[in-house]
Amino acid sequence: MIKHHPESTMIQAFTAGELPASLSIAVSIHLELCPHCKAIAAKMTQALADEEFNEELELSSNDDFSAMMANITAEPVIPQPEPKNVASEIEVEEKTYTLPRALSRFADSKWSGLGNIQRARLPLEEGEVHASLLQIGEDSAIPHHTHKGYELTLLLDGYFEDESGRYEKGDFIILNGEHQHSPYTAEGCLCYTVSNAPLHFTSGVSKLLNPIGRFLY
Amino acid sequence: MYQTSQLADANIKKPDPNLDIQPELNQYLLAVASDQDKAAFAKLFAFFAPKIKAFGLKQFRQEALAMDLVQETMSLVWRKAQLYSPEKGKASTWIFTIMRNYSFDMLRKIQHNKEDNLSDDLWPLYEEAEPESDHDDDHLMRAQLIQGLETLPPKQKEVVEAIYLKEMTHQELAEHLKVPLGTIKSRLRLGLEKLKEQMEQHND
Ligand SMILES: [Zn+2]
Repeated sequence: MIKHHPESTMIQAFTAGELPASLSIAVSIHLELCPHCKAIAAKMTQALADEEFNEELELSSNDDFSAMMANITAEPVIPQPEPKNVASEIEVEEKTYTLPRALSRFADSKWSGLGNIQRARLPLEEGEVHASLLQIGEDSAIPHHTHKGYELTLLLDGYFEDESGRYEKGDFIILNGEHQHSPYTAEGCLCYTVSNAPLHFTSGVSKLLNPIGRFLY
Repeated sequence: MYQTSQLADANIKKPDPNLDIQPELNQYLLAVASDQDKAAFAKLFAFFAPKIKAFGLKQFRQEALAMDLVQETMSLVWRKAQLYSPEKGKASTWIFTIMRNYSFDMLRKIQHNKEDNLSDDLWPLYEEAEPESDHDDDHLMRAQLIQGLETLPPKQKEVVEAIYLKEMTHQELAEHLKVPLGTIKSRLRLGLEKLKEQMEQHND
């Protein structure tokens, strides 16, 4: 059961098209897995459409749309096939996963590994905001760390646990500088993550792991 | 409510903002889908083009880009009308989706120089969810929304609550509160802006 959902203000910003692509992908994946949030998003989309399109605005005499309209209706209409979701599969470390629709185009991403962790970075080009797919191998822990910025994790497969509980497929988890945690996965998992700063390892020897923090970012 | 026979002379009447024209717009879009009906498309065009342009000006602050948005949105409406299904929502919601998607892709191109046209993967056009919701009162999201609502001025709170939690339409609420539709919209807009600010602070 999904227990962690995006806040309604985030769903609202998503439906308005105002979130960055990296976060929009996360919300979109969550909606595909969570009928409750999907229904809320549909309601919000309808309200936004009502708001934009109920304004009383008539064609102004300065605007000559007639040529534009004639060009459009001159375009041939090709019958639209019922679009189908082409399942896109990836294989990482001998495990096969089906990617959600919002990630399907990234099936060919290049993976690189460090220890038990495999990472594929998404080429979204949003400056300091990095989006990645992370696969964490079985029986792995990521030592105590904090987040300098924020880190969003959307669990795509498997599960993991930290001090606050157990997370499952579809859970939408946002952590920021106030949180400190050390997630552990028994059977391994695949996540989509978005963060705007490297992880920062906090305890003793694990400070030596700060290169991993930059790898995970 | 309009009868189908009244559709033909609808353009003679001065549009009344309080009239529910949604069923009419749905009919026009269905006529474009089934028969490539140019007269029906002209009706949709007259209704939506100026509003899409206004939306584009807000997004891009440039006349030429706003006109691109009108051109592309209406062209997609013409070519993809067959993907619209009235059981899944109103024509205006479907057209909003097309406009929002194209605008998102344009903004990405302008801001990040990326032409990846992600929007169709984020918001598929053929599958906007049915707004049937199973309401689960102790749901976390709802709790957060209610918490945020408490910080709004009472009149904005009342409007956001009625639209998002009680699922009233703008029109029903205007009648219920005996205020003009425009007042509902501006209260809703202000309320949502405040809620959004809270989210941004939260994420800092
Ligand atoms: Zn949810």
